Amino acid sequence: MSVLLQTAEATTPMWSALAPAIVLALTGLVLLGIDTVWSDDPNNTVLAGTAAGGSLLAFGITAWFLVAGTGQPQTGGAISLYGESLVVDGMSLFFTLITTIVTAMVAVAAYDYLDGHEHRAEFYSMVLFAATGMATMATANSLATAFVSLELASLPSYALVAYLRKNRGSVEAGLKYLLIGSVSSAVFVFGISLIYAASGSLIFADVASALGSGVSEMTGVVGLGVLMIVGGMAFKTASVPFHFWAPEAYEGAPAPISAFLSSASKAAGFALAFRVFVEAFPLGAIPAGVDWVLAFQVLAVVTMTLGNFAAATQENVKRMLAYSSIGHAGYALIGLAALTAGGPNGDVLGASMAHLLVYGFMNTGAFLFIALVEHWGVGRTFEDYNGLASAAPVAAVAMTVFMFSLAGLPPFGGFLSKYALFYSAIESGFWWLAAVGAVNSALSLFYYSRVVKAMWIEEPSGTFEIQSRPVGLYAAVLFAGLGTLLLLPAFGPVIETAQTVAAALF
Amino acid sequence: MVPPEYYLLLSAAVFCIGLFGILTRRNALLILMSVELMMNAANINLVAFSYVWGNVTGQTFGLFVMALAAAEVAIGIGIVLVLYRNFDGVDVTEATTMRW
Repeated sequence: MSVLLQTAEATTPMWSALAPAIVLALTGLVLLGIDTVWSDDPNNTVLAGTAAGGSLLAFGITAWFLVAGTGQPQTGGAISLYGESLVVDGMSLFFTLITTIVTAMVAVAAYDYLDGHEHRAEFYSMVLFAATGMATMATANSLATAFVSLELASLPSYALVAYLRKNRGSVEAGLKYLLIGSVSSAVFVFGISLIYAASGSLIFADVASALGSGVSEMTGVVGLGVLMIVGGMAFKTASVPFHFWAPEAYEGAPAPISAFLSSASKAAGFALAFRVFVEAFPLGAIPAGVDWVLAFQVLAVVTMTLGNFAAATQENVKRMLAYSSIGHAGYALIGLAALTAGGPNGDVLGASMAHLLVYGFMNTGAFLFIALVEHWGVGRTFEDYNGLASAAPVAAVAMTVFMFSLAGLPPFGGFLSKYALFYSAIESGFWWLAAVGAVNSALSLFYYSRVVKAMWIEEPSGTFEIQSRPVGLYAAVLFAGLGTLLLLPAFGPVIETAQTVAAALF
Repeated sequence: MVPPEYYLLLSAAVFCIGLFGILTRRNALLILMSVELMMNAANINLVAFSYVWGNVTGQTFGLFVMALAAAEVAIGIGIVLVLYRNFDGVDVTEATTMRW
C-alpha cells in the first residue's frame, strides 16, 4: 500500500501530505501564543485574521493537493503514513476541503459575534483544534486514530458550545452535548474493543482480512461491536439514535459554533463512517448476520423522517435549522445505506459526499444569518423575522438562497446534490430510499419557505433597530451565499471528483 | 489461563453498571464517573485480548483511552462548574430552559 509520492515531489517527505491538518494545529498554537505574549486582551482583528488565514491556507493546500492528484491513482494511489494508521487519499482531501472552508467562514463570522466577549483567543484556538481533529478524522485508517481524532474534534466542541458561560441556555447546551457525547464515545470505544477482541488488530485493512478469513468464531461479538461503532458515528453525524443533543446544542450554542458543528463536524463524522464501514467491514468479507447496511437503511429513513417532521413543528428558527440538520444527516446516510456487495458503489457514496460539500455552504450560511440576526438583537421565532427583508435586504436575499437550496429547489446547488444522491440511490436499486428522501424534501419546503415568507411577505410587528452592518458576518454570509450559487454551474466537476475519489475506496 | 469469554463477561458487566449509573443518576459528577466505568470496561477487553492475541496493540490503545478519558473529565468538570454557577446545583434535571 505504501507508495512514495511521484517523481516531481519525490523530495518532499511523506508526512507533508498531512500539511492541511498540521497547518490547522499550528494556527491553533499560534493563537494561544498570541494570547500569552500580548500584554492585555489581544486585538480581535489579529485573532480572527490569524484563524481565518490559517484555515484558508489549509484550504488552499488541500485544494492544490486535490487538483494535483496527491494520494489518488494517477500519482501512485493512497499515501499511508505511520504504519498505515493514517491515510491521505482523494476522499480525505475532499472532506478536509469541507472542514477548512467552514472553519474559515466561522472564524470570519466570529469576529463580529465575539465583540465584547472575554477569552476570544481560546475560542479561536479551540475552533482550530477541533478542525484539526475533523481533518484527522478524514485521514484515520485505524480504529485507534479514529477514536483519538474523534475525541480531538469533540472535546473542544463541548467547551465551545458552553462558551457563553453566563448564559443559561449555552451552559445547558454544553452540558447535554458533553453528557451524550461522552456516553456515545464510551459506547464507541467499547465497540472498538469488541472488534479488537474478535480480530486482533485495529488497522482497518487488517480488521477486514481477519474478519473475512474467519479467524474468529465470535460473530455475536463482531455484530455487537459493529452496532456500537454505528452508535458512535450516529452521535458525530447527529443521526438517530444519538441525535438528542443536536437541537439543544445548536440552539444554545453561539450561532457560529452551531454552524461549525452542524456542517464541519457532521461532514467529518461521515468521512470517518464512510472509511470505517467500507474499509474495515467491507460487504462480502463481513460474517453473514452482521448486516450493517440494513442498520443504516433503518437509520437513514428514521433520521430524515424524524428530523423533517420535528423541524416542521418548531417556532424558533435556530431550532428549526437544528432539526433540518438532522434531516440532512438522514439524506447523507443514503450514501452508506445504498451500498451493495457488487454494485456501482462509488456513485452513491460520491453523491453523498458532494451533498455534504454543498450542505457545508448552505447550512453554514443559514446559521451565520442567525448569528447576524442575534447580533442585531432581533428575536428568535418566525414572527420576529416578519418584515426583516425591508430592514436588511442583502442578508435576506442570501438567507432566501440558503432556504431554497436546503429545500432542494431547482435553481440552487442543493437541488443538484439531492438529485444526484437520489438518482444514484435508484441506480443502486434502492428506489424506496430515494422515494422517502423525495417525500421528506417536499415536506421540508413547508418550513423553509416559512422563513422566506416571514422575511419578505409578512408585515413587521414593530420597527427594527438595526444600527450596524457587521463586516465579518456580512462577508461570511455573502461568501456562503456565493458558494451556494456557484455550486450550481460548478456541480459537474464537484460530483465527478467526489465519485472518482469514492470509487477509489472500493 | 482464564478463558477469554470470562473477560468479555466481566467487561460487559462493568459496561452495564456504568450505563445503569448514567440512566439512573441525576448528579452530573456521578454521571461522569459512570462514563469512566464504561470506558474502563473497554480497557479490560483491550488489555485481555492483547494478551490473547499476543500483540501489544490493545495495551497501547488502552493507554490512549485512559488519557482521553482524563481529558474528557477535565472538560466535563469545567462544564459542571459553570452549570453549578448558573443553576445553583449539579442536578442535570434542573437545566431545562429549552424544550422541544
